[in-house]
Amino acid sequence: MKAVTSKYLSHRITRKIFKSSTGIVTFIGAAILVFFLFLAVFSPQIAPHNPTERVSRPLQAPNSEFLFGTDNLGRDILSRVIYGARIALTIAFLAVVIAAAIGIPLGLISGYIGGVFDRILTLIMDAIYSFPGLILAIAIAAVLGPGIVNIALSIAVVYAPTYFRVIRNQVAGIKDELYVEAARALGARSPSILLRYILPNVLPSVIVVLSMNLADAIMTEAGLSFLGLGIAPPTPDWGYDLSSGQRFVLSKAWWAILFPGISIITTVLGFSMFSEGLNEYLNPTIRERR
Amino acid sequence: MSLKNYVITRILLAIPMMFILLALIFFILRIMPGDPVLAIVGGKAPQHVIEKLREQMGLNKSIPAQFVDYVLSMLKGDLGKSTLTNRPVLDELKERLPATIELTAFAFVMAVLIGTFWGAEAARKKDRSLDVGARMFAIVTYAIPVFWLGLMMQLLFGMVLKWLPVAGRISPALSFTPITGFYLVDSIIKGNWAALWDAFKHLIMPGVALGLIISSIFLRMVRNNTVLMLSKDFVKAAVARGIRERAVLYGHALKNALVPILTIMGLQLALLLAGAVLTETTFSWPGVGSYLVQKIRYRDFPAIQGTIVIFALIVVVISICVDIINALVDPRVRY
Repeated sequence: MKAVTSKYLSHRITRKIFKSSTGIVTFIGAAILVFFLFLAVFSPQIAPHNPTERVSRPLQAPNSEFLFGTDNLGRDILSRVIYGARIALTIAFLAVVIAAAIGIPLGLISGYIGGVFDRILTLIMDAIYSFPGLILAIAIAAVLGPGIVNIALSIAVVYAPTYFRVIRNQVAGIKDELYVEAARALGARSPSILLRYILPNVLPSVIVVLSMNLADAIMTEAGLSFLGLGIAPPTPDWGYDLSSGQRFVLSKAWWAILFPGISIITTVLGFSMFSEGLNEYLNPTIRERR
Repeated sequence: MSLKNYVITRILLAIPMMFILLALIFFILRIMPGDPVLAIVGGKAPQHVIEKLREQMGLNKSIPAQFVDYVLSMLKGDLGKSTLTNRPVLDELKERLPATIELTAFAFVMAVLIGTFWGAEAARKKDRSLDVGARMFAIVTYAIPVFWLGLMMQLLFGMVLKWLPVAGRISPALSFTPITGFYLVDSIIKGNWAALWDAFKHLIMPGVALGLIISSIFLRMVRNNTVLMLSKDFVKAAVARGIRERAVLYGHALKNALVPILTIMGLQLALLLAGAVLTETTFSWPGVGSYLVQKIRYRDFPAIQGTIVIFALIVVVISICVDIINALVDPRVRY
């Protein structure tokens, strides 16, 4: 029985995917994501050269040996772009997980307790939310210094209010629903009400926010490392590789600018296309805010 | 509520918001791990040097006392002195603010123009090539980092075609002395047309790069809202009365579509400021954003703190302005 249902479901989903343009967009997005995940996981096997070692003359245009050319230190740009996927995806995932880990519990508690605590926390989160994200991340990154966890943390602080808002508003809406009342009447304690009755009902809405934030987090990470606040060199990083862009412009080394940039754009495109599709499927009624 | 009362309430509401932002900045820069003094002098400095600097910066006091000091000096408009240049941070920021305003204003106007007209036309021809193009443009520009677009433009228009200057605000050869700091305004005041043309040529690339990135958001919002409005009864009524299609589009549908967009405009302006930091760095544009990045390189903490406080102030002022404009346009907001 179960197998039949799942087969039917998967068939229906496949048909749905290829019928609408949203489905195709989601599919392309997912394909891009899988591609970059693959690059990130298997970069040592795929990359033709060591990304941090000088392998040739500096600033060579793309040729048969170095498909994407070499940078100002004679390193293979193709290898750096491949390894760059690791840093970008690691930081983006880590940042989003930390942001969710801060935002979700605070949102749950704030929405459930209400009162002065809720008011103050909402004000603080709104203040963070209204502040230009990148500038806030710059400030935190400047204090914390370089490093994967530090950068992820700086980005996480920017996105935590999004989770807080989504969760808090929903919890405030459903905490007086009958099934919550019933659980309370049966003697369930607050922590168990929150975790077993409320959380499962508000969590699905977070999934879309999560996948949208991944795209934003990659952009913010690229911006931070472009400004020299990201990962310490010589670790390959797309944003950092563009930070000596002015030098490449002056020597007309288009390949050194083009390829890291294309990588950022494709990854962000992949995430945002995927999340857009996901949004349509999971919350057909919720219109996007952007 | 009368408009006057609304404005007063709105400004009063901004005070706790500004206070929270100040506290947040204080928390990030002073309490989080990382010692500003060690960051300035390095880990190997002798103990007495560290102690002296700590005293100078008021860091030897307790955290609450430091916070009171900080808030009081901010209220007096004293942002402290840069440890790098030993000049008041406020003076340095005043010199740089006009450059940022010139850049962001150019970008903003461009984004609004592209967004409004393309968005409205796309809504009129829904699902035709203009609309599909608009949607593609919005999705792709959303994914493009502004600094990458800037670099590519520098390469193409600055180096290969040699149409536009690669970086800076004005050619040094003109030995231009600013009056207000707004170069476009200054050169008009002086009647220096060569300088006006030169300053404008410098502004085009950073302005267009930033404007294009921001425009995608407007485009998307205008298009979606106009599509929604075009399906409303009052639009059908206008069409039925025989009003021309364009007049209905711009006079009825678009006008009403823009109202909800005003509400979220404040957030877009915040995005514009963040984009300005990256754009200014890319184009060596001497504004507040590149100032911040430069000060971070030298770990000049008073200057970093001052700049971020100014950014916070700008955000708060903009959100007040947006709300007031909104209340003017849509009287329902006031109740």
